[in-house]
Amino acid sequence: MRKFSLMDRWRIPTYDKLEHMQTGDLYFNPKKCKQCGICIRVCPGGCIVTDSVTKKDMLKDMKKGVKSGVPYVDKMKSGVTLCMACYDCGAACPHNAISIKKNINPKYFYKRLTQASEMTYPKKY
Amino acid sequence: MGKVITAVEEKENVSNLLDENINSKNETLSQLGKYEEGMPWNPVEQVILERRSIRAFKKEPLPNSMIRRILEAGRYAPSTGNTQPWKFIVVNSQEIIEEMEKDAVKVIKFFMFLLDYTRGNTLRRLYILSWVKWVIRLMKNELNPVPFALMTQIAQDRTPAFHGAPTLVLLVEDRRGAGNPSVDIGICGQNMVLAAHSMGAGSCWIGITKVLMYLPKWRKKFGIKYPYRLNDCIAFGWPSPRADGMVQREVQLVQWYEKGMNYDPRVERQGE
Repeated sequence: MRKFSLMDRWRIPTYDKLEHMQTGDLYFNPKKCKQCGICIRVCPGGCIVTDSVTKKDMLKDMKKGVKSGVPYVDKMKSGVTLCMACYDCGAACPHNAISIKKNINPKYFYKRLTQASEMTYPKKY
Repeated sequence: MGKVITAVEEKENVSNLLDENINSKNETLSQLGKYEEGMPWNPVEQVILERRSIRAFKKEPLPNSMIRRILEAGRYAPSTGNTQPWKFIVVNSQEIIEEMEKDAVKVIKFFMFLLDYTRGNTLRRLYILSWVKWVIRLMKNELNPVPFALMTQIAQDRTPAFHGAPTLVLLVEDRRGAGNPSVDIGICGQNMVLAAHSMGAGSCWIGITKVLMYLPKWRKKFGIKYPYRLNDCIAFGWPSPRADGMVQREVQLVQWYEKGMNYDPRVERQGE
């Protein structure tokens, strides 16, 4: 169990500072990815993009995302992503090309206290 | 004769679907009503574990009878002292949903113009940072990093607020409910979500609907005044593509108090 100190409670993290935010990140396997664009379409925040296509384009016309390149997680200038590691993209991906690199865990006030950083599939107890 | 054929066809379709489900998992499901250690998932667990929030829908809405069936699951949800502190509003009109989308984006753009320090030049950033953390402290749930990031994306037109859903069910809370009516709303909504997913539909909780309550127009339209408060909203529709499936989640640290008053709890890593 992690501690939530008075300092943590006092300090609100700056959302676009790499030192204050550990945000989710994904790995797209270029060998498995068929560039169908499904992950771009299902991403909650529209933060999976390719060089030419964003989620708004995909919602207008699904064909735009086809063969437009292997997608990646969009980053701010500081390197912070907007990914919350929900993995909706991975559940939807028909080719199993996506894996999670990191989960989300902001620091200070929004620190997560009972979640470990390892991620596992449901376990049959 | 025609009726018989359709019935047989339906049966075949259903069994095909079931086969697909089972084949994709390579195992059969457990029966309901029994437990053995390490047994395969039962159908209820499977629906719970495979439920993903669906944010891409087909244009055609669910049939009205199916929406009624889903609402039935909500009607039978447990609530404190059986107070049933909820009111359901079904929005099935594309025109209204488009209008809601437009207004939600407008409100979010306005707030993000005031609060979003992650965009724009350094001067703007420093100015906003000098006071925005006090606002975040006051609205710690609404401006948590995740909804904050979502709102910055919506304000930049990079993702829609209602995901083009054909049906919205607004969950309105009766504030006079017993105990903690917000929790009752949550239980009721999750009942409906699980019912919907068990029938192959998709759903997504859209808490950001609350920004519409800053506009008197929508409060009036949906009749939301005391004792009512808009608590949350669920979008329903046919998923496109089908995106349900099991995913990884963080290992959870669970405290087990087992030994007695003089002992510290044992911390177990749930899921590892």
